[in-house]
Amino acid sequence: MSWFTDRYFFTLAVVAYGLSMVHTVFLWRKGFRQHDHVTYLLLLLGFGLHTTAMLLRGFSLNHCPVTNLYEATTFAMWTIVAVYLLLGLWSRLRFLGAFASPVLFALGVFALMPKLDATHSARPELSAAWVSFHAALMSLSYGAFGLSSVAAVMYLTQERNLKFHKLQAIFSLLPPIQRLEAVAGRLLVVGFVLLTLGLAAGVVDLAQVNDPERYRGDTKIVWSVVVWLIYLGLIVMRWKFAQGGRRFALGTIYSFVFVLLTFWGTNVLSTLHNP
Amino acid sequence: MSFVVVGLSHRSSPVVVRERFAFAEARIPGALQSLRASGVAEEAVILSTCNRVEIYAVSPLAPADAFRGLQQFLVSCHDYREPLTDEVYGLSEPHSVQHLFKVACGLDSMVLGETEILGQLKRAYDLALKAGHTGGRLNKAFQRAFHVAKHIRTETNIQRGSVSVGSVAVDLAEKIFSRLSDRTVLIIGAGDTSEKTARALQSRGARRILVTNRSPEKAAALAAELGGRAVPFEDWSAEFGSIDIVISSTAAPHYVLDRARLEPLMKLRRNEPLLLVDIAVPRDIEPEVNFLDNVYLYNIDDLQAIADQYLKQRQEEVARCEAIIRDKALALLGPCAPGERALEVRPAFGQE
Repeated sequence: MSWFTDRYFFTLAVVAYGLSMVHTVFLWRKGFRQHDHVTYLLLLLGFGLHTTAMLLRGFSLNHCPVTNLYEATTFAMWTIVAVYLLLGLWSRLRFLGAFASPVLFALGVFALMPKLDATHSARPELSAAWVSFHAALMSLSYGAFGLSSVAAVMYLTQERNLKFHKLQAIFSLLPPIQRLEAVAGRLLVVGFVLLTLGLAAGVVDLAQVNDPERYRGDTKIVWSVVVWLIYLGLIVMRWKFAQGGRRFALGTIYSFVFVLLTFWGTNVLSTLHNP
Repeated sequence: MSFVVVGLSHRSSPVVVRERFAFAEARIPGALQSLRASGVAEEAVILSTCNRVEIYAVSPLAPADAFRGLQQFLVSCHDYREPLTDEVYGLSEPHSVQHLFKVACGLDSMVLGETEILGQLKRAYDLALKAGHTGGRLNKAFQRAFHVAKHIRTETNIQRGSVSVGSVAVDLAEKIFSRLSDRTVLIIGAGDTSEKTARALQSRGARRILVTNRSPEKAAALAAELGGRAVPFEDWSAEFGSIDIVISSTAAPHYVLDRARLEPLMKLRRNEPLLLVDIAVPRDIEPEVNFLDNVYLYNIDDLQAIADQYLKQRQEEVARCEAIIRDKALALLGPCAPGERALEVRPAFGQE
């Protein structure tokens, strides 16, 4: 049937993420007191549908499905869910899903906007493998940054409870703040490494483009370097200048919000990425 | 044959009366022997703790006569001559069985839901069992009581959470640090509560303990007891780079730790999280320090508020536990005519 497309599966996945978000509200009201399996199962269901959608798209394109904004967004989301499902095997970190669901749902609804799924004319001079490699690494890195900021939100929630002597600090089953900070920190480093590799792959791509000098000041290139510097700054502040805890968590969240708010705009403005 | 309970507890009598009726453990087998010889009871267990002295007995007498006989036994055993009114209570089936179950579950304890009583009840039963003073009825009732206690512990929240200040501090530490085993605890002042808190932290894995006190002897004594290290009071802040948890309970009239002193110390610690537990009155730690990043300060009232909340949660569970106990007691006693086991709760002595 014609409506049995990859977008159809992706829409179903977004519905599962939405249901998980609704369930989060109940968990929140109860103060995260009971072990949470429902979120895990809903996100697992969403992941299955999401993976199917990506496989269908990938097979139809014959390469990694990261050629436009829709595909890049779904890939970043897929990374978030995959890493969550892995971390969620550890019951003390399962609540990450509750905090990740709203982010996934919002990204999913955004990705479904029809204009994002435009087909780009391919650049014949570029190697498809390198382009896929570059785009996949970039999407994976944003997924890691997204999940890192989710852990940071959990950290801030629990840190605030502890600081203001709220009973929820003790009664909730959220993990200790030190562990949350460690999770956020590690995901950030993973994201940074992926981003660095992704940008390096991008440089290889750029060398193959006709007249690469033309793109010296391309919006997306400048923006990517800015994002790379922001994350480098966060990492240096934390490990070199011991600015951990709340400041680090806030930095992680602000950085990801910045990425979310500017990614799409700079992508549209970039002539390199919109031939 | 009826299963009866006669005794005194923190609910019915003050400690000045309870202490007069207490049995030393070594005396119990002899007391049980003479009780059975008197003909009042065929099987008996004596439970004697700081909060209760109770005789659980299977008696061939009618409940009212059994109450009188058992109370007489208690009085004569301890040579108690003052008048008794409501201090001693007597319970017959099914309330006697329900009472036994409640005691086993900690529902009748001063600290609601505490588990120490279960161990004490098991010891009392073992003592009577080994001396051959129990039989089929009591064995079955006690075995069932231990089973019900386990059931209640796993199925309800009656024992969830900490109701003592020391263990609340440990709960907090576990919400801040990933592991307690690699954390260092500093105890300032060698008081009783700080020792208990340190022991609670040790029981959950904390291994490195430093103790400091104005009196170096006291610090050394407590450090030796806890397997830690004593630190001179004048320069404990030199150790601060490695400290994660501070428990302070000095008798100092002023702050031992204030914001001005802590701020540079936090840099020394590379801003790692720091839990400060101030159980001193007057307080040892300036409240302002809680405004510093990565510092979590709790004073005695904060800890007590959490402990009270746990207690409230336990109280809410009581009704659930009692319903389970009622069912389990009925299951043990089996079906019977409604009038046969009518309500029998009354003072064993007194106005009768």
